[in-house]
Amino acid sequence: MRSRSGPFVWLVRKEWRELTASRAWWALLALTGPLVGVSFIAAVNSYAEVSAGAGSGCGFVCNPLDGIWAPTFSAYELAAIFLLPFVAIRLVGGDRQTGALTIELQRPMSPFARMGAKALVLLAGWLVTGLAGLCAAGLWLAYGGSAYAPEIAVVAVGHLLNAGITISLAAAAASMTDHPSTAAIATLAVTVGLWIVDFAAAIHGGVWTTVAAYTPSALVAAFQHGLVQVDVVLIALTIIATGLAVAALWMRPGVPVAGRARDSLALAAVAAVVVFGATQARGSWDASESRRNSFPEGDEQALEQVRAPLTVEVHLAPADPRRQELDHQALAKLKRAMPHVRVFYVSRTSTGLFEEADPGYGEIRYDLGGRHVMSRVITDEGVMETVLGLAGITPAADADDEFHGHPLAVRPVAASWVFYGLWPTVVVGAGVLVLRRQV
Amino acid sequence: MPSVPNSSAAPEVLLRVTGLTKTYRRVTALDDVGFEVRNGEVLGVIGPNGAGKTTLFECLAGMMPRDAGIVRVNGDLLPATQAGAHLFYLPDAIAPWPSQPVGWALDFTVGFFGGRADRRDDVVRALNLDALLDRRIGTLSKGQRKRAMLAIGLLAPQPILLVDEPFDGLDLRQTRDVSAAVRAHAADGRTIVLSIHQISDAARVCDRFVLLSAGHVRGEGTLDELAAAAETRGAHASHGLEEVFLALT
Repeated sequence: MRSRSGPFVWLVRKEWRELTASRAWWALLALTGPLVGVSFIAAVNSYAEVSAGAGSGCGFVCNPLDGIWAPTFSAYELAAIFLLPFVAIRLVGGDRQTGALTIELQRPMSPFARMGAKALVLLAGWLVTGLAGLCAAGLWLAYGGSAYAPEIAVVAVGHLLNAGITISLAAAAASMTDHPSTAAIATLAVTVGLWIVDFAAAIHGGVWTTVAAYTPSALVAAFQHGLVQVDVVLIALTIIATGLAVAALWMRPGVPVAGRARDSLALAAVAAVVVFGATQARGSWDASESRRNSFPEGDEQALEQVRAPLTVEVHLAPADPRRQELDHQALAKLKRAMPHVRVFYVSRTSTGLFEEADPGYGEIRYDLGGRHVMSRVITDEGVMETVLGLAGITPAADADDEFHGHPLAVRPVAASWVFYGLWPTVVVGAGVLVLRRQV
Repeated sequence: MPSVPNSSAAPEVLLRVTGLTKTYRRVTALDDVGFEVRNGEVLGVIGPNGAGKTTLFECLAGMMPRDAGIVRVNGDLLPATQAGAHLFYLPDAIAPWPSQPVGWALDFTVGFFGGRADRRDDVVRALNLDALLDRRIGTLSKGQRKRAMLAIGLLAPQPILLVDEPFDGLDLRQTRDVSAAVRAHAADGRTIVLSIHQISDAARVCDRFVLLSAGHVRGEGTLDELAAAAETRGAHASHGLEEVFLALT
C-alpha cells in the first residue's frame, strides 16, 4: 500500500510541522502583535492630534496611508530584519544539524523543489503574522477611519516582498554554512551592509544613490508611499529567486564545495545581468488615494505633451535636505510623468555646508531641447511650472480633484487590550494546542 | 588485496564497488576500495574506528563526492546523483525531526519515500517501538533513537540499505532483537550492508564480511572463507572472527 500524496506534498506538510514546532516562529508570532500594537497606537494618537489641529480641511496631511498604514506596517520591517531570519535559518539549517537533510536527500527530487517547499511554508508562516496588521485595520475601521484598499494592499505587498528577500538571504546563508549561528551572523552582516549602502548614498550620492534605490529599506519605503515601481519589483523578485536558488545549489549532496561555489557564482552573474536589465524598466503605479507620488492629473497630461528630452542639473550636496526633498518629491514625480528625464547632481562636498557661499550652489539648471532656465525652487509646483514654462505649455486650469483628507480625532480604544493582552494570550494558547496535537 | 574467491553457488551480485578512493586533503580515507554485495545478503563492513567505514557509506550513498571509483548496481553504472534510487543510507548518531513523534517519522518515511505502509506494524513490533510512537524523537535515549532510526531504514523502499553502526548504544537484549529484525528483513529480500566496529556483533548477524582497515580492504568473504585466508598467514582462525580480523589487518 502506497501513500496517495506526492513527495512534494509530504515535504510541504513536514516543513509546516517543523515550522509550527519551532519556538522561533512562535516567538515571531507573539512579538509581532505588540510591535504592530505600539506602532498602531502611536499612529492613531498622532493622527488624532493632526486631525484635531487641522480641522476638516486638513487635505494631504490627513491621509491614512502616511498617518496610519505606513507606520503601523513598519513593525513588519523590524520583524523581517530581526526575527524572521532566525525562523528561516531554523527551518533550513536545522535539517542539516539534526541529520534530517541526509535522510530526505535520499528521495530523488530537485533541490529547487526542496527549497521551494521550505520557501512556501516560510512565506505562509509570515502571512500568519499578518493577522496582527488585519487586527489594526479592523480597529481603525471600527473607529470610523477611512481605508483605501489599493494603498493598503500595496503596503502589504511591499512587506511581503521584503520578507521574501529576508527569507531568501537567510536560506542561502543557512544552506552555505555548517552552523545556524554562522548563518545568522552572515544574514545580519548583509543587513548591516545594506544599511551602510543607504548611509553612503545619503553622504556621498552618486552611484551609491543608484544602488540604494534598490535596497530592502528603499523598497519598503516606496511601497509605504503607495508606489509600485516595475524595476523595484523585478529586482526584488530576482533577488528572492537568486537567494533561494543558491540555497538549493548548496543543498545538493555529493557535489564538492568548489562546484557549488562555481555554480553559485554563475547564477549570481546571471542575476546581475537580470538586475541590470530590470533597472532599465520604466513604469510605475501610484496606488495612493491622495496621489502623493504624482502631480495633479491636469499637470501630468500637460507634461506628457513635452517630447523633448529634459536634463536637470542640481547643484546641491548629497546630505543637503533640499536635495533629498527635491529628489524624492518633485524629480521623482517628474520622472514618472515624462519619458525622457536625466538628472545630474553637482557638488564639491557631501554636506554642502561650505559651498553655501558659492554663487552657483543651490541652482537647479534645466535644459529642454536646447532651451535653458535656472531656478532655485524645489517644490512640486515650482519645478512643474518651470518645466512647463520652458516647454511653452500652459497647464489646464486646476480641476477640483484635490485630495481633501480624512481627518479622524479618536483615541485608540481597546487597542492596548487587543495587542498587549489578547494577542499574546491567543498565540501562547494556540502554540500549546498545536504542539500537543503534533504528538 | 587478499580477497577470497567467491563460491560458484553464490547469489547474483547486486552492487559492485571498484577502485573507490577518497582523500581529505592529505589524508587518504579510502584507497582503491573494491568489494561486492550480493542480492539478499547481510554484509558487514568491519573495521576499527577511523578505518573509513562512514566515509565509504557516504561515498556510496552520494552524500560525499568521491575522488575515483565506480559503483555498479545490477551491472549498470550508478552515478552518485542517482544513488538514492537504489540505496538508502542511515547515518550513525543522528536525530532527525527532533520535535516530531516517532510514529509521524515512520509515516513520513512511508509517504515521502513511497515505502510500504503494510510493513509499518511489523517493523514497529520487531523493534519494540510501540511504546515510543508518541514520543518526540529528540526526547529518546540513544538506544531508543537507534531503534527508531533503524525502523526508518527498514521502511525505506530502496533495495539496498546501508546502516552505519546499527548496534551502537544498544544493550545485549536490544542488540539481539535488532539482529533478528535485520535478519528477518533480509530474508524478505532486502539487501543490507552494516558498518560495525564491534566484531562480536558482526558475527551475530552478517552473512559475509568486508574487512576494512586504514582505508584498505583487507579481506572479503564468509567467515569460513576469511578463516581459510587467515590460516594461510598462520592464524588460529577457529577462535572466531576477531582472530581472523587481527590476522588479516
